[in-house]
Amino acid sequence: MSALPVSLASYIGLSAVMFFVGVAGVVLRRNPLVMLMSIELMFNAANIVFVAFARAWMHNAGHIFAFLVITVAAAEAAIGLAIVVAVFRSAKNVDVDEVALLKG
Amino acid sequence: MLFALIVLPIVAGFALFALPKTDTRACKAIGVAVALATIAMTLAARNSEQSVRWLSRPFTAAFHVGDSGIGFWIALLLTLCTLCAILASNVPRLRTFIAMLLWLEGTMLGVFLARDLVLFALFWDLMLIPVFLTLVNWGEHPATAWRYFLYNFAGGLTLLLATAAYGILAGTTDVIGASGPHVVGGWVPWIFAGFAFAFLVKTPVFPFHTWMPITYRDTPPPMVAVVGAVQSKAGLYGLIVVAMALLPDYLHAYANVFIVLGVISMLYGAFVALVQSDVKRIVAYSSLSHLGLIVVAIATFNAVALQGAVLYIIAHGLFTAAIFLTLGYVEEREETRSLVRLGGLGAKNPRMAGALCIAALAALGLPGLAGFAGELIIISGIFQSGLIWVSIVALIPIVLAAAYMLRLYQGVMNGPEVADLPERRDLTWIEGLAVAPLIAALVAVGVAPAAILSFDTSAYNVTVPALHTAQVESK
Amino acid sequence: MIHHVMGVNGFYPLLMTLWLLPLAGAVLCWTFGPQLKQLAGWLGAATLGTSFVLTLLSWSAATQNSGGALGAHQSLLSWIPGFDFGLLLDPLSLIWTFIITGVGFLIHFYSIGYMHGDKAFARFFAYMNFFVFAMLTLVLSDNFVGLLVGWGLVGLASYFLIGFWFERPSAVAAARKAFVINVVGDVAIMFAIFVIFTKVGALGFGDVFANASQLGDWVFVVCVGLFIGAAAKSAQLPLHTWLPDAMEGPTPVSALIHAATMVTAGVYLIARCAPLWSVSSDAQMLVGTIGALTALVGAILGTAQWDIKRILAYSTMSQIGYMIMGVGVGAFEGGVAHFFTHAFFKAQLFLGSGLIIHALANEQDVRRMGGLMKKMPFAFVAMLTGVLAICGIPGFSGAFSKDAVIYGALAHGHPWLYAIGLITAGITAYYMFRMIFLTFFGSYRGDVDPSELGIRHPELAGTPAHDEHEPHEHDHAPAWIMAVPVGLLIVPTVFAGWLMFGEHSWWSQFFSAQFAPEHTVATPVSDVMTTVFAVAAVLAGFAIAYLRYGAPAAMEHAIERLRTETVRMPGALANALYFDAALDALFVRTSQLLGTLFGRLIDPLVIDGGVREVALSARWLGTLVRSFQTGLVRAYALILVIGVACFVAYYAIAGGVH
Repeated sequence: MSALPVSLASYIGLSAVMFFVGVAGVVLRRNPLVMLMSIELMFNAANIVFVAFARAWMHNAGHIFAFLVITVAAAEAAIGLAIVVAVFRSAKNVDVDEVALLKG
Repeated sequence: MLFALIVLPIVAGFALFALPKTDTRACKAIGVAVALATIAMTLAARNSEQSVRWLSRPFTAAFHVGDSGIGFWIALLLTLCTLCAILASNVPRLRTFIAMLLWLEGTMLGVFLARDLVLFALFWDLMLIPVFLTLVNWGEHPATAWRYFLYNFAGGLTLLLATAAYGILAGTTDVIGASGPHVVGGWVPWIFAGFAFAFLVKTPVFPFHTWMPITYRDTPPPMVAVVGAVQSKAGLYGLIVVAMALLPDYLHAYANVFIVLGVISMLYGAFVALVQSDVKRIVAYSSLSHLGLIVVAIATFNAVALQGAVLYIIAHGLFTAAIFLTLGYVEEREETRSLVRLGGLGAKNPRMAGALCIAALAALGLPGLAGFAGELIIISGIFQSGLIWVSIVALIPIVLAAAYMLRLYQGVMNGPEVADLPERRDLTWIEGLAVAPLIAALVAVGVAPAAILSFDTSAYNVTVPALHTAQVESK
Repeated sequence: MIHHVMGVNGFYPLLMTLWLLPLAGAVLCWTFGPQLKQLAGWLGAATLGTSFVLTLLSWSAATQNSGGALGAHQSLLSWIPGFDFGLLLDPLSLIWTFIITGVGFLIHFYSIGYMHGDKAFARFFAYMNFFVFAMLTLVLSDNFVGLLVGWGLVGLASYFLIGFWFERPSAVAAARKAFVINVVGDVAIMFAIFVIFTKVGALGFGDVFANASQLGDWVFVVCVGLFIGAAAKSAQLPLHTWLPDAMEGPTPVSALIHAATMVTAGVYLIARCAPLWSVSSDAQMLVGTIGALTALVGAILGTAQWDIKRILAYSTMSQIGYMIMGVGVGAFEGGVAHFFTHAFFKAQLFLGSGLIIHALANEQDVRRMGGLMKKMPFAFVAMLTGVLAICGIPGFSGAFSKDAVIYGALAHGHPWLYAIGLITAGITAYYMFRMIFLTFFGSYRGDVDPSELGIRHPELAGTPAHDEHEPHEHDHAPAWIMAVPVGLLIVPTVFAGWLMFGEHSWWSQFFSAQFAPEHTVATPVSDVMTTVFAVAAVLAGFAIAYLRYGAPAAMEHAIERLRTETVRMPGALANALYFDAALDALFVRTSQLLGTLFGRLIDPLVIDGGVREVALSARWLGTLVRSFQTGLVRAYALILVIGVACFVAYYAIAGGVH
């Protein structure tokens, strides 16, 4: 197989940008829905790297891991949304800073 | 037989809960029957052994139970004390209490009959639970329960770690009752320290003793009769079968530490017992004093002292149980334990006075009773091993024991009758029956202690230099 | 020659029976006390009477001397492997057994009358019989441990009987004091046993004495250990303070235990261990000196007592001092002889005083007596013979044995002890006749107001009357029950000494095989001259007593003189030379102080404080970690990111290094 039409560095760069956008979303936003979406963004940043390396090194493991990550992400989103709904029901509020029941 | 012996009381303890809560007579009857059965089984199983393979990696271990030579006597003491304690029990929620006593008996039988170190450590931790639960349920202060548990569990933890480390170094833990394989390595001092800490806390020895007086104070008398008489011996038993038999070089190397701690305990406990006003605390501190002597005896590595130690372990168990049970009767009747308030009970309660008197006399080492034989042989062994000054100092607590034990006895039974104490009847026959076997055993062991001394001391790396070495020519 | 093999082995049923009978009597009286009632006394006395007869029947067995073995030896049981317990009846233990059962029988008989009507009548006889059993165990044991067992058991019996009226706090305290001081002696004997056992490897008397050379220099240590035991039991300085207090017990107890038998156990021990004492001159010096000092101090304190029983108690202490001095310096025959006569005349004196106390409804203060001669002529005769015997008036029993002891001290090279012995004899005469004059002469002072006699606290002077136990107000036992034993005792009190009269007396023949010939030194004065000196000292003592208490001039102003004497009593004498106070401050208070210090300070503050520090540091750590737990999801996320950043940075730098 020929080399990638786009260099591996570009994929990694894209992935890094996506990942840090996700991190910033998690750390800075207070809306749990947005936080969940940011987490998805980080998952997908990882997926891009997996797939890019799989393509670059011609090895299927990367693809398989990408599918695994997608599955885990779906499950995580399902549980996360369920928690958000449950919290919203009791707290009438979706600001994560207001929900600090685990404060020591 | 032996497995059944250990399991029977535990299962019976659970089975009690099938009975109606209010049927205390049936609970007591079953408890007594089980205790009698365990006595019979202990006697019957004296020379038998049972072993089932357990672990093969990282070291071999087995469910191996049997008599280690001295475990039998302590087990017999335990079953006897349990029987007496159940007979004497008269507390609220009797069903649960008797279950606790039975669990305590089963787990402690495990400790004293285990021939495998892992099994020993396992039962060691298990035997803390019934006492802890009793303290939680019947004790006066919850803090006492936690203090008991934390101190003893810390010891249990180091025991477990030391056991595991020993197993890895030695390749097997199936070693109790014999001098096991020789272990070497930089870790061995730490292993020894782990064992020693567990045993010294359990005994207890100064300065690890502060859990003991309050535990004895808060535990109901029948339970404390078993705990004070037998559970405290687990540490000494451990010192003999583990420290002495398996790690003799290290016990030898650190013998001075043990002797110093033992001597301090002896004097410290005796002095404190002299001025206590709570009768149970007097006995608790006297225990500290008496058990300190046994620690010294073990640390001298002398066969005579070791024989005396085993004899005194039994004797101390008998008189401690008898004293605690009798003081329990006093407390039950007069609703106080304070020498300031008690007095003059002897005139109206001759049987109670008689029981307390004989037990106290045995505790202060009256010649002819069990305590004397133990003390005489132990200190004789200490003298023989060359520790002349220690043997002289060891005589001081005997004098002090006479002072505090008579103060205890006279403070409760003698003097003018106290007007504001409730007047209750003397011991019922069943209460008397609960103390009688202990008293009888005190006399029997005092008159004929030979059987207990007959175990093989060579398993503990000391040999008897024939009791009469310089044999007499003129005969 | 000394016979190391002790006793001809054999089967001696009489010996075992006479030993065990009192135990059986004790058990019966104890178990069936409520059923037996007054019969308990007769039962108790009968067992002792039987034992006494059996002792007489065993006489030939005890004195048999065949194949180098002296006396009768009966094996009983093996106590621990290699160590057997048996009974040994040889001339020495026979003398003691004779006194224990014989005098014991008379005192039991007397007690039937004295204790009549006491609510614990049967218990009293159970204890008394138990005491006799214990005392027989002590003297019949063939080894040191058996002796120690008997030693402890007599202490126990003494404890029970001193505290017999256990509702009285003073009796309870006296009983405890006696027991604890005796335990001091017990442990000292224990120590001697350790030394013997370690060095010789045996504990039987015969084996130990045959191999005494193996003790080497330790023989002195052994002797000191044994002597501390003897001093505690026999009320020698400075362990004597329990004996006067022990008079809290009923008077027959004082007669049997605290005069005739138990307190002489120390004499027995030293006489039994004669082979050890005779090889240690240091021990002889020590024991002889302490015995002499005890005799002197006891006599001095005897001059300052007002309680008739305490006068007798101090005289007992003083007389035992003589005995200890005798056996201590090596005059074993003389020391034992003084035990023999003393048992009679001191029992006589105590039982006589019991007659008085009984008749005066428990009055024991001699200041409140006086003029009793006419009321109680029999008691007067009994007391007077006892006093003549104890003073050593020639012809009475005490003279022979006391002079033997005093002369023995000189003959064994201790002139100072000889001098002390003579001085003490004079003081003895003084305080004994003081008692006689105060009690029997002059006019009765019982109806005088106590304060006029200088008695500030009547309830504290002497033993308080124990009204609730008042045995004799309502129904008296027939008077002859108490009179007969006293009358019988007069015979040996007067005549027992003649057994020791002469060069080849019955006494020295009796003991010829027991004790090795004594190594005596040439003495500047003969034994006859010693008797003359002693009589002179006694006459001087008597004269002073007569002038102070017996002369008509003194009688006239008896009340004022007694008041003056009471008030002006020197503090040292009134406080018994401060022995009690010193022991109290040195040992009792120090121990209590240590106990309080340990229990109140070290336990809760130092040890628990240390443990609490550990717990607190765990809590501090917890507080620190707790501050990270904000409960804010975003904060956790930030910490996570920072953590990852740190990892990445570390590997970036570390990777750069590689």
